Amino acid sequence: MIPASGSIDIAAPGRARPRLGRGTRRFVRHRLALLGLIAIVGLALAAAVGPYLDPYNDLHIDILHRFAPPFSGPHLLGTDQLGRDMLARLLMAGRVSLTVGFAAMILSTVVGTVVGVLAGYYGGVIGAVLMRFVDAVLCFPSIFLLLALAAFVQPNLVSITVIIAATAWMEVARVVEAQIRTLRDRDFAVAAVALGAPDRYIMFRELIPNAVAPIVVAATLNVARAILLESYISFLGYGIQPPVASWGNMLNNAQDYLATAPWLAILPGLAITLAVTGFNFVGDGLRDALDPRLDGR
Amino acid sequence: MSAYLLRRLGQSLILLLIVSVIAFGVLHLAPGGPLAQFALTPGMTQADLARIAHQMGLDRPLPLQYWEWFHRMLDGDWGRSYRDNQPVLAVIGGHLPATLELMVSSTLIAVLIGTWVGVLGALRRYSVFDYLATVGAMVALSIPTFWFGLVVIYAFSVRLPWLPAGGMYTIGEGSFLDYLHHLIAPALVLALVTVAIWSRYMRSSMLEVIGQDYVRTARAKGMPERVVVLHHALRNALLPMIAIAGLQLPTLLGGALVTETVFTWPGMGRLFLDSIGYRDYPVLMGVLMVTALLVLIGNLGADLLYAVYDPRIRLD
Amino acid sequence: MSSRIWLPASRRLTRRGALALGLAAGATLGSRAARAQNQPKPPAKPTGQVVVGLSQEPTVFNPLMPHIEVDQGVHWNLFSPLWGVDASGNFVPQLATEVPTVANGGISADGQSWRVKLRNDVKWHDGTPFTAEDVKFTIDLINNPHFRSASRNGHSLVTDLTVVSPTEVTWRMQKPFAPYSSILSWTFIVPQHILAKASDPNTAPFNNAPVGTGPFKWSERMPGDHITLVANPDFFGTGPYLERLVFRYVPDLTVMFTQFQTGAIDHTGLQGITADHYQQATKVAGRKVEVGPAAFVESITMNLSRPQFQDQAVREALYYGMDKKGIIDAIYYGLPSETETFLPRQSWAYNPDLPKHVHDPAKAKQMLDAAGWTAGSDGIRAKNGVRLAFTNSTTAGNHVREQAQQLLQQDWREIGVDMQIKDMPAAVIWGDYFNLSQYDSVMVGQDKMTGPDPDVTAYYDSNAIPAKGGAGTNTMEYVNPKVDALLLAGATTVDRAKRAPIYRDLAAIIRTDLPTLPIFQYVTIEGHKDTLFGYQPSVYVASNCWNIAQWYWAS
Repeated sequence: MIPASGSIDIAAPGRARPRLGRGTRRFVRHRLALLGLIAIVGLALAAAVGPYLDPYNDLHIDILHRFAPPFSGPHLLGTDQLGRDMLARLLMAGRVSLTVGFAAMILSTVVGTVVGVLAGYYGGVIGAVLMRFVDAVLCFPSIFLLLALAAFVQPNLVSITVIIAATAWMEVARVVEAQIRTLRDRDFAVAAVALGAPDRYIMFRELIPNAVAPIVVAATLNVARAILLESYISFLGYGIQPPVASWGNMLNNAQDYLATAPWLAILPGLAITLAVTGFNFVGDGLRDALDPRLDGR
Repeated sequence: MSAYLLRRLGQSLILLLIVSVIAFGVLHLAPGGPLAQFALTPGMTQADLARIAHQMGLDRPLPLQYWEWFHRMLDGDWGRSYRDNQPVLAVIGGHLPATLELMVSSTLIAVLIGTWVGVLGALRRYSVFDYLATVGAMVALSIPTFWFGLVVIYAFSVRLPWLPAGGMYTIGEGSFLDYLHHLIAPALVLALVTVAIWSRYMRSSMLEVIGQDYVRTARAKGMPERVVVLHHALRNALLPMIAIAGLQLPTLLGGALVTETVFTWPGMGRLFLDSIGYRDYPVLMGVLMVTALLVLIGNLGADLLYAVYDPRIRLD
Repeated sequence: MSSRIWLPASRRLTRRGALALGLAAGATLGSRAARAQNQPKPPAKPTGQVVVGLSQEPTVFNPLMPHIEVDQGVHWNLFSPLWGVDASGNFVPQLATEVPTVANGGISADGQSWRVKLRNDVKWHDGTPFTAEDVKFTIDLINNPHFRSASRNGHSLVTDLTVVSPTEVTWRMQKPFAPYSSILSWTFIVPQHILAKASDPNTAPFNNAPVGTGPFKWSERMPGDHITLVANPDFFGTGPYLERLVFRYVPDLTVMFTQFQTGAIDHTGLQGITADHYQQATKVAGRKVEVGPAAFVESITMNLSRPQFQDQAVREALYYGMDKKGIIDAIYYGLPSETETFLPRQSWAYNPDLPKHVHDPAKAKQMLDAAGWTAGSDGIRAKNGVRLAFTNSTTAGNHVREQAQQLLQQDWREIGVDMQIKDMPAAVIWGDYFNLSQYDSVMVGQDKMTGPDPDVTAYYDSNAIPAKGGAGTNTMEYVNPKVDALLLAGATTVDRAKRAPIYRDLAAIIRTDLPTLPIFQYVTIEGHKDTLFGYQPSVYVASNCWNIAQWYWAS
């Protein structure tokens, strides 16, 4: 079957080419993954520490100095429509977006894994029902589902994290279910059953540890996805609410000012792209490192 | 085959049922309602709003409301929009073509560019081009679609007055050329993600095919490389791609919503967003059902096509 | 994005403010007489077409069903009420031959018996003559329990509605209700001969192919795009001077502004031109920008059931601590004008002598200290265990209001008040959250008049508190028996000259009590091509498209 996750694999499968090629390929991928890691760590550090180093407060309104362009004055990256320092806003927004992304990833991975394990291990009716439910939820394009759920909640950090997780757990469940189904018939699992081990033990102590590879890969790619989803929903106005900054809601305001203050739109978008690219590179590198079998069909 | 089809259809119907329950529950349990838009209209009092809510049946228990919606839908009556009382199917029908046009044109662009990039990457594996294409694809997947749209608007509408900043056509001008002029930017923006995915899958598909015996045979026979590539390899590499396209439908629909918002393109995604704001439940349910239907069709089509391509795949 | 689709109240501003700041270059702040002098004459035959841009789509064409302001703009051109209201608030007969008053015997002295005489020369757009049956049908339909009418306010008091002759109709009000004349000026008459035949008036085909008696006839509608009306050659009043009227839906205010600049649209209707584009708009050649008054007033409305707000000193201190001028000048570009009350300046019941707001943080701190609100270690005041902290909510996505909130937050922090911003989407905040007084405070723009009438009972009467089971919009839970008495007097006194002082007293009391902190009165900034004449903004209607019958192109 076609890989369900829809994610792509950089290095193509196919007949083996000269060994030089394989080595080159590995190197290329690792270098990218390394770059990605540096980008992520850099962003995280900047977000964590940066606000203490920047003299300006991200919430301080300075009406007299609105719309200052970057590199033109005391504000390194300019100011926004209320005169707030863009650099400070970007860094604080980074805290929010990265935290939401990470937390949503953890929540979605946990839920997806549990559902996937239950469905994969028990199979039969339970498995069918669970996977049908997963399929049904997958019928909603993520944005549509996210919007509908966002209408449900009072938008704040926790609720937005929860609904993003609610939109992202299905892929994890699918991957885990497929993996568990194959592992279930392996010797070690069969042996454990024969020994009379309780289901819970088998699922969580035997099977899952052997399925860690695809879970980790899916989880990393999920952070990327979560950051993107947060930006989408905040851009549409249903996510994190001002005055708390997130990269997405900074872009919400920016379209009004494209002609006069384009940096309001360009800067947060660059930040998002950098973060998401970083996680995608790392995820891809991990996929190669942890399980070469996943490399193509 | 027909047994398989029947079974899939049955499964799809069950899925649609589950989808409708989830959608109905989520929408109606959310706070706020369709009458909030009138709360501040001069001339209407609280008493009026309460009466209208009752007349619209909004204060009845949810399962009852769902049941009514459900068996009306089976009769073909998808309800009427709360905003202009038009039948929901008519409202959706008015917006769906715009979205389909956007999706089709962006897929065409993506296929053209993606095929070219993927094929070249496969033929010139590990070259600089291939490396750049690889990295480019990953970055393209990481760019938020709406941000890319803003950048395109800034570059080509604000700085360089080449393209319009939104809408489907200029007032007074309804020509096809004007429509195309308005279509370019949103189609390009929506194509971004598809180009990335398509080029990568194309590359791996091409590589798979190139290694096949018949290609080596063709080469051995001395056929020009171009013929080998275009006639033999490409054609066979394309088939599984169609299946991929089918699976991309949810992503494409979601991307269309955001693109339509940025470019104020009057499509179904836009309709959904507006209707969320108004809590226009009948239209929202209609849109969700239509998108679910499209996704299911896409999935089924993809599975069937893939089975056709590779007889080794058992449909079960 | 979503906010531009629906703003419950637009950002509109006053003429006086713009004049004071000299921003009125090119804007029509001159008197109407001066304007009339310089205007060319209207053409003899309807000529040309006008394209009006609207940032919200009109979707309701049965004027009796729930609708919003842009819908009313279309209704004014398709339908006629018994009498209309001009920009000065005077009733102008339309389908009626004269406006019934106590003086001319149309209304009995006790205000309960009404007699309305109608014109005999009016035809519906399909040629059928208009008669008193149509009036009876309209009011009966509004009161029909199966019909989803927008408002029964006033109409529900009508009994014994009798058609005396094809040109005369009488009825009795169950109790005298002065605002009813105003309500009728916003009640469009619908055709009995078409709607009576519909099996369900809620979904009748008429609702999408309306037939009225107004200056324009329905031509076509392309949903999501535009509506076209054509001139009614048999219109009983003056005009129309245009052959065709097109309402074009442009969902994005920025795009609409661009279309205004390029001339793709001839007039920007609701929501008009945003304050930050005003300066730019005045410089566009061949265009005229009109800054006109609107009936909406922006205020901070407080939930008086919250312990912090029950102290008069707190409310006054908050008012002193507010930098109104800062908000108006910096965020709204100085275009709206400050106000101290809930009625628009142009209303005949307006009280111009109210104490003026002063931004005095020192005084605010003094008042709070004197009232026992002492600052804690975090700088926030508290008294008897109650912290002077509360949330303020408004429509999420309304960027201008968000900016105003943030300014306020900073100003109030200075005087020891902790205001937290808690915005939410429009469909949520203006539902139960607002109506059932679940909020601490909101920043809201409201038109509290009853149509063109200054009756504000729904907002200030103690029986109008929905959270306590009342049937009004007194979400602030404001209770003042003196106010109740004045409201009752105002609603039952039919003579306008006697009503005005009642409302002035009312305004004075409310200004003292400060249940809301009024900020400014809105203006509409709308622009049109300078060869288009006839535009007249009015606070007595919900849309400035009310008099397109008088618009024309200079030849």
